[in-house]
Amino acid sequence: MYMPDFEYHAPGTMAEACKLLAELGGKAVILAGGTDVLHKMKQGKMTPEHLVSLKNLDELRSIRYEAGRGVVIGSLATHNNLYTSELLQNKYLSIPMAAHSMASNQIRNMGTVGGNIVNGVPSADLPPILIALNSTIRLVSASGERSMALEEFFHGSAQTAIAPGEILADITIPDQAATGSTYMKFGLRRSGALAVAGVAVTVIIDGDIVRGARIVLSSAAPTVMRARDAEESLKNKKVSEKLLADAGAMAAASSRPRDSIRGSAEYRRNLVEVLTKRALDRAITKGHS
Amino acid sequence: MNENYKIIGRSVPRMDGVEKVTGSAKYTSDLKFPNMLYGKILTSPHAHARILSIDTSEAEKLPGVKAVITHRDVPDLKYGISPARWDENIFCIDKVRFVGDKVAAVACLDEDTCYRALRLIRVVYEELPAVLDFLHAMDEGQPLVHDEYKRNINTEIHQKFGDVDKALAEAYHVRTDAFKGQRTYQAPIEPHSAISMWDGKKLTIYSSTQTPHYFQHYIAREFSMPMGDVRIIKPYLGGGFGGKLEPTGLEFGGAVLAKITGRPVRMFYDRAEMFAHNRGRHAQYMEITTGVDRDGKILAAKANFIMDGGAYTSLGIATAYYAGALLPLTYEFDNYQFDMHRVYTNLPACGAQRGHGAPQPKYAFESHLDNVAKDLGIDPMDIRIRNARRPNTVTPNDFGVNSCEMKQCLERVRVISDWDKKKKNHRHGRGIGVATGSFVSGAGYPIYRTDLPHAAAFIKVYEDGSAATLYTGAADIGQGSDTILCQMAAEAMGYRFEQMKIVSGDTETTPHDFGAYASRQTLMSGAAVKEAGEEVRKQILEMASEMLTLPAEDLDCSEGIIFSKSMKDKTLTFEEAARRHFVVKGPLLGKGAYTPPKLGGKFKGAAVGTSPAYSFGAQVGEVEIDKETGEITVIGIWDVHDCGKVINPRLLHGQVHGALSMGVGESVWEEVLFDDKGRVRNPELGNYRILTALDMPPVYSEVIDDSYEPSGPWGVKEVGEGATNPTMGCFSNAIFDAMGVRVNSLPLSYEKVWRALKEKREREEAEKK
Ligand SMILES: Cc1cc2nc3c(=O)[nH]c(=O)nc-3n(C[C@H](O)[C@H](O)[C@H](O)COP(=O)(O)OP(=O)(O)OC[C@H]3O[C@@H](n4cnc5c(N)ncnc54)[C@H](O)[C@@H]3O)c2cc1C
Repeated sequence: MYMPDFEYHAPGTMAEACKLLAELGGKAVILAGGTDVLHKMKQGKMTPEHLVSLKNLDELRSIRYEAGRGVVIGSLATHNNLYTSELLQNKYLSIPMAAHSMASNQIRNMGTVGGNIVNGVPSADLPPILIALNSTIRLVSASGERSMALEEFFHGSAQTAIAPGEILADITIPDQAATGSTYMKFGLRRSGALAVAGVAVTVIIDGDIVRGARIVLSSAAPTVMRARDAEESLKNKKVSEKLLADAGAMAAASSRPRDSIRGSAEYRRNLVEVLTKRALDRAITKGHS
Repeated sequence: MNENYKIIGRSVPRMDGVEKVTGSAKYTSDLKFPNMLYGKILTSPHAHARILSIDTSEAEKLPGVKAVITHRDVPDLKYGISPARWDENIFCIDKVRFVGDKVAAVACLDEDTCYRALRLIRVVYEELPAVLDFLHAMDEGQPLVHDEYKRNINTEIHQKFGDVDKALAEAYHVRTDAFKGQRTYQAPIEPHSAISMWDGKKLTIYSSTQTPHYFQHYIAREFSMPMGDVRIIKPYLGGGFGGKLEPTGLEFGGAVLAKITGRPVRMFYDRAEMFAHNRGRHAQYMEITTGVDRDGKILAAKANFIMDGGAYTSLGIATAYYAGALLPLTYEFDNYQFDMHRVYTNLPACGAQRGHGAPQPKYAFESHLDNVAKDLGIDPMDIRIRNARRPNTVTPNDFGVNSCEMKQCLERVRVISDWDKKKKNHRHGRGIGVATGSFVSGAGYPIYRTDLPHAAAFIKVYEDGSAATLYTGAADIGQGSDTILCQMAAEAMGYRFEQMKIVSGDTETTPHDFGAYASRQTLMSGAAVKEAGEEVRKQILEMASEMLTLPAEDLDCSEGIIFSKSMKDKTLTFEEAARRHFVVKGPLLGKGAYTPPKLGGKFKGAAVGTSPAYSFGAQVGEVEIDKETGEITVIGIWDVHDCGKVINPRLLHGQVHGALSMGVGESVWEEVLFDDKGRVRNPELGNYRILTALDMPPVYSEVIDDSYEPSGPWGVKEVGEGATNPTMGCFSNAIFDAMGVRVNSLPLSYEKVWRALKEKREREEAEKK
């Protein structure tokens, strides 16, 4: 396949990277694992003059716990880094499981959480669980840095809040009141399949009462979305099969999927309903799973 | 029958195993030659358009471009793999007929320059209305894909055997069902590629082909060259499955580019181009009617099919005949009618894909038969056993069947799948289905008319007897023919497998063989190899007879040791005798050739589907269905095959596994999709979903041990394609069993299953009201 020409840069420090990006402006595209960028370039959907690789910025790879902040995941952590992280496995197993549901082993070795977020497509598997866990992100550029809720980052399909020259540095998952979290993905085969629909949930369970819940849908609208009506419907209610089924129906009603190569809108809406119900049940009964 | 075989019947390791596993095996596109150029083909962006002009001047000016060619630079002789309809040109002359049709080609110093050069070729098109829906291709007023084929009919077949109407009129129960099969693609892992080069008048092409001989034949024909001046070499091949049967623009275009530039030219298809070139399985509409007696015995069957051929014939005439011809194999009935229209559309051409023509009709027939069984309240296994073909019978369309263990296959698969228990204790959401299949062990007639033997082989024993090389035109495309043919050679010679070498699939150094298609090599190439091996054995025993002063009839040879049958202590090694032979009589060589007997009846198309031997098989599949999502989990597949004598059990079961992975993929996941402009929507392996290792269900594969086919060497038959035949039907039936509703089109996708369940629920609720 045809790969258009580009100039390649691999700055050694965050400061250099920021400076370079500021200089190059709109002519540059950031390269992390390249599993989205290189694919788009080969298809002629993107023809940047410069690629700025972040590969030398080792400080963006770590996954650690910082007291007072929470779990901090560097944007360059790969899907397999997430999958094998003991910290995540112990605290929020739902994240390693979501990472493991993605792509194939080869892609999981290359693809990064930062790329998965900034790429901004509604079928991305990591944003739903990270939003459900209330994550914030830190964006760094030559002119400083800013933080925002991950949920506010997504504006539409492939439209995000990132400004030219900004690097997504890390994602922070605050300490949780949630007692359980999970991500359920429906793909059309066991490996190498994008989500036809996906649902991430967190729940706060107190005995058999739901004190709070967050429900985040992927592949269900032009961008990753919260199913707020469904969340509300659960508050302070006793867990029952019907409660969860009704929440599923509400989530489906609020979803806005379209017909795609992987499924009709009607089918996908049905999947949202089923997955929501099942994800809630799993988070309620199995905790972070 | 001498069952005392030393080498055949054993799972010896593949000859190419180490090379392939370590990555040292060289495939066509791994090869490099001094001064080699890279070539690419410019293809049509339109499904149907008139070419008004082609301007290559800008492309020619680009530095690094060594040649640009269009139809003006190549022969305009039409070609194709089926002589009855040669309808393709190397490059389109006045019209393009599908998105991906070949228009021009470039040869450049590197690949990147090729892509740039292609963009600089200016083609002005006048778009024409396109035929994209094969079910309406024959309608009045539809545009014509080829002016000379009225109503877009490429092939029309009407065959009638026995008295179908009378049998149907007298039947206890008559039922008609209609099904639709989807277009699938072989998706071999190795992309097509070819490297062409000239040495004076001689053209050599390294090609990822499964049939070096047909490439040689058609390339020689296209360029008006003697066959002897065209050499086709097949390096290691990463799968073909029927998709690498016919020469492509890579060979034709590459040969011309190499001639013009005087340099070797390497051309290849990338994944998307492979999908555009296609030649995969035809989409097909299938209507089936049968009449049965009270016990479910089939009295007559009627098949009426329409096939989407795409823009060219490819191997599609044979596919069209196969679709009907192979249908009466697994069950016995006397009255049979087959009607078929293969139509042209402005989509990529369809051809032969593993199981050639047979799997979709089998899906339709087996699904239909389950419906019939249900109507009559008969167990699906019983209705099949009741109708199962017996050995030494003749089908209504005059195919002679020798060995046939159809009934034993069904009875055995019933046991190993625990059929009766699973049928009785129906578990919620689970279902179990059965289907049968049968396939040719090589076609009775070659693709073009010729009286050449179908297969030939030489064996050369080294001067000192320490090794022997088998030379065969047979093509190992991953199925392991090199290995089993060397097992056969060693067995026939009385030699050791470990000392065998092989040269195969090179039209210059190996004797003629038609190659890898129609599951022919074990039986046909094997027969030639056996003859060659026996010739060596005869000579070595004669030599030993002189050396031991014993009569040759008293001597035998096994695993490299020559021994006297009467005197235990009289032995000689194969090496000693072979060396002596070389010294006193010259090179020790054996040769063999195989031509099948005259087969088949006298009616039009009677030859297609004939074979010296047919394999038979039965499969049971068990599925579990998620009623809320339609997701299908395959619990297991049980396959029992009647494939005659097994030469290498491990390779045989490998073929069954491979066939099943394709069969399961076609059953549930795979479909080539087009948009409303005739462009492939999923020309990649993300959305064209072949199975991954994780999706592969547990497979239980068995053979009928004492099956013996008198027409095959040592009693062999085929397995490679036959195991693809039952799979779609078996899944359709398992899903039917699980849900109580039938999905009448392939693939049996999760969404279709979900929709069928939803509609059933809605029907039931409406009935309650
Ligand atoms: C075969 C295959 C299968 C796939 N399957 C899945 C799947 O199942 N689920 C799924 O969600 N995705 C899947 N993907 C998509 C892709 O692998 C993921 O989105 C991956 O996480 C992208 O990460 P990357 O590091 O490769 O991103 P890149 O391709 O390097 O970058 C993606 C985008 O993000 C930008 N970017 C990357 N890092 C940063 C940063 N730190 N700061 C600012 N901008 C940045 C880039 O400029 C680019 O626009 C698949 C891709 C392939 C090729």
